[in-house]
Amino acid sequence: MIKSFLKTLVSNKKSLIGLIILGVFILVAIFAPFIAPYPPRADRIVTIIPVGDPSRSEEQLSEEYPSANEDLLTIRATTVTEYQKHIQYFPLRAKPSPQHILGTDQAGHDLFSQLVWGTRVSLFVGLVTGLFVTLVALALSLVSGYLGGIVDDVISFFTNVMLVIPGLPLMIVIAAYVTMRGVLPIIIILCISEWPYPTRLLRSQVLTLKSRDFVRVSNALGERTSFIVFREILPNMISIAMAEFFAMSMIAMMGEATLEFIGLGNVSVVSWGTILFWAQTNGALLSGAWWWFLPPGLAIALVGTSFVLINFAIDEISNPRLRKR
Amino acid sequence: MDDGIMLELNELRAGYDTAKGFVRAVDGVSFSLKRGEFLGIAGESGCGKSTLAYAIMRLLRDNARIESGSVRFKGVDLAAASAEEMNKRRWTDMAMVFQSAMNALNPVLSVGEQLTDAVHAHRHVSEGEAKAMAVEMLRLVDINPDRLKSFPHQLSGGMKQRVMIAMALILKPDLLIMDEPTTALDVVVQRSIIEKIADLRADLGFSVIFITHDLSLLVEISDKLAIMYAGKVCEYGPAKELFSAPSHPYTRGLMASFPSLTGPITRMGGIEGRAPDLLSPPPGCRFAPRCPEAFEGCDREEPGLRPCGKEHFSACRLIGGAK
Amino acid sequence: MSDTVLELASVSKHFPIRSLRSYGKAVHAMDDVSFSLARGESLALVGESGSGKTTTASVIARIYEKSSGSLSFGGEEARPFRNRAEALGHKKNVQMIFQDPFGSLNPTHTIREILERPFLIHGLAKGRAELEERLVAILEQVGLSPAAEYLRRYPHELSGGQRQRVNIARTFAVEPGIVLADEPTSMLDVSIRMGIMNMMLALKESRGVSYLYITHDLAGARYMCSRIAVMYAGMIMEIGPTEEVISKTCHPYVELLKEASPSPESGFARKRTPAKGEIPSLIDPPAGCRFHPRCPKAKAACSAAIPAMRDLGNGHLVRCVLYD
Repeated sequence: MIKSFLKTLVSNKKSLIGLIILGVFILVAIFAPFIAPYPPRADRIVTIIPVGDPSRSEEQLSEEYPSANEDLLTIRATTVTEYQKHIQYFPLRAKPSPQHILGTDQAGHDLFSQLVWGTRVSLFVGLVTGLFVTLVALALSLVSGYLGGIVDDVISFFTNVMLVIPGLPLMIVIAAYVTMRGVLPIIIILCISEWPYPTRLLRSQVLTLKSRDFVRVSNALGERTSFIVFREILPNMISIAMAEFFAMSMIAMMGEATLEFIGLGNVSVVSWGTILFWAQTNGALLSGAWWWFLPPGLAIALVGTSFVLINFAIDEISNPRLRKR
Repeated sequence: MDDGIMLELNELRAGYDTAKGFVRAVDGVSFSLKRGEFLGIAGESGCGKSTLAYAIMRLLRDNARIESGSVRFKGVDLAAASAEEMNKRRWTDMAMVFQSAMNALNPVLSVGEQLTDAVHAHRHVSEGEAKAMAVEMLRLVDINPDRLKSFPHQLSGGMKQRVMIAMALILKPDLLIMDEPTTALDVVVQRSIIEKIADLRADLGFSVIFITHDLSLLVEISDKLAIMYAGKVCEYGPAKELFSAPSHPYTRGLMASFPSLTGPITRMGGIEGRAPDLLSPPPGCRFAPRCPEAFEGCDREEPGLRPCGKEHFSACRLIGGAK
Repeated sequence: MSDTVLELASVSKHFPIRSLRSYGKAVHAMDDVSFSLARGESLALVGESGSGKTTTASVIARIYEKSSGSLSFGGEEARPFRNRAEALGHKKNVQMIFQDPFGSLNPTHTIREILERPFLIHGLAKGRAELEERLVAILEQVGLSPAAEYLRRYPHELSGGQRQRVNIARTFAVEPGIVLADEPTSMLDVSIRMGIMNMMLALKESRGVSYLYITHDLAGARYMCSRIAVMYAGMIMEIGPTEEVISKTCHPYVELLKEASPSPESGFARKRTPAKGEIPSLIDPPAGCRFHPRCPKAKAACSAAIPAMRDLGNGHLVRCVLYD
């Protein structure tokens, strides 16, 4: 069944395009070190030329805060040879040029490299949050939907309460109180604001399946509850759970970009959202520096579109009536 | 229109374009229907009877189409008619009661609105006149006109069905096509619907094409019967004769599938096997693979409808002594 | 060990309505239902939708617990299950076939996976080899041969009749004593029904099971069962040997059902008394006899009190003031 499901996904034109786009971005994320010309926060090229022997010059990309290795190299070098250090800073706020195809930001960081490296963070946050939220929603919906009664009442109550609270303000409030180290806090915040939506949707699916005859038959035969929940009901929820996964991943990715954009995320992390944040704070929009804000926005839109396209195909798989014959 | 023939089908072919090819659900169907006559069309699911109904009304959508043949309604070929001409005829001359009529009613509109909508779509009348027509039709189907304001979910299954019939008859068409109208209803309600249709027919004089898989019901109420199998008509003739002296082995098999309320209880046969795939039907007679009386050549030669009685035809090589 | 496998005595089932508007009211799905079923016997439960026949089956299958009355299996009164073993024991004895052949099969499981479950749950096969043998045997018994072909398929690859055969195979895999068949053929094509009905009769002969055959089709009930009970609005109106109930009908509702049923061989254009009215609401059933608002022979006494079942002899009982 999984095989035929994947085959249908590939044969559907819409989802095929979606899968290709997503695939390209995932490859970019994986091979970022090879695709990006510079590390994301490099802002200068340091050339070390031994005096009297220019052929042994070394070129290094360096950051504002050099790492320990560089110092070590400097010490070793000076005990043996005298040399000169040329620092060539990247231009600040540069327009696109052959060395920097998307220009540079206010500190000289190459924007194309940032875009490429940022793919990792944006995709990671989006997909991980989507996965976690979908799994939590599956677990909660199966338990509350199938067991019913007081368990269902309690879980539904919390779900409904969380649903009523508006998502973005909730994210903002939590983010304002949390100290950001790395991307984990952002993931947690996104999970907290997103889990009610798929939970509610999956729960109604569980309720529908529960009343289907094959579940009644299982009961009549004497099946254990755990078998019914995991082997009868769950397999019938795979396609809708996948659709939720893609939908939630898209929302998470955009949520991360939103948090970063308004400055409540971790601005030292390089992601598409932070690029937009720095673009905004440096007046890129006002000065018309489209090479700064357009590429990350476009990237977010493309990945979001790919998720939506894949979801169209999943809809058609689960609801045969939507299929074009 | 000559000698009272209301509808005449000639070698009608219609079907669906699918990724795997053209599925010919209706493959060369011909029959004629007189004014005021009741024709029953029976067959298993997938035999093409619903496609036939939609083809006559030119309601085939999406990838379904009429391939060839003619549908002469009061002398005019509907298969060749333009969309405008069809719109003029639909509902005023011929109307349809759809399968699962319960779902054919719009849940957010009241009964009165749906009835008057049907009128306004085809006639230029005032609001008051349309409402009067709606009231008259509701009375004819034994529904209290107070129900004009009711919504479909407030009505029982039988009442919804009667509203559908009222909607179909509101412009007093000459032909009513009913596609499995009583399938989802209880037997007592079904009986009242059937009797209502008989009464209305006596009053208004329209012809009926009644499509169902429940042959025992059809035999009672039809003047003529057409039995369809795999897209073709395999037997056609007066209902009484088809019941008492069925000619085609498929018809005989069908008649042997109904336990009776009277008479001795004997073990009955039924029909083994499955209907063929219409994408690639078997060569020769389509019923041959399941036919208990198939003989040499049945899987090569396709028999057309042959006369086997007064106005009684059967598509079987056994007629005419081929064996 | 009595020969009566199932006995209901004045069983009622009321579903309380959980809403503020109808607080304290209940749906009277079953009221004062009494009948017994002997070993190897088939009893038809006939009625229209809302008559309470499916609820009766659900109560017998212990899906719902009865509200009042006495329910006993093989002479033993049914008690609440104390542990899983007791529940399993009951489920092994009483099985149910549902109406929708496709809905009864999990679309994500193969036929093999579906048919294995009853054997595995009740421990009816020791080891892979025996399980395989029994799978093949049961499939052949329901006419699905070669078994290997069917075992690897998914439900959507089978026809309606084949699916129902799989359902019946699954039911008989646990070797039940009582089979509750809830309209097993009404969603099948007419030409397929006879095959399924004949197969069910053959299984009854070979295994000695008792059937409670639920249907709205009188002719089908006559074909399958030696006794028939007709329900209306949650109560049994007439019960007795099939031939007697159908040919010497007593209750006006059963008369109405008979006239409404298609009967081509009785000739055409029979005279009929028109049926008026509809099935009453089970929340506020009519006072007295529940059929009296529609009954052509209703009298004043009919709305006064619910008539009791009168025994007309030969196991034929009827609930009507006409026979008091």
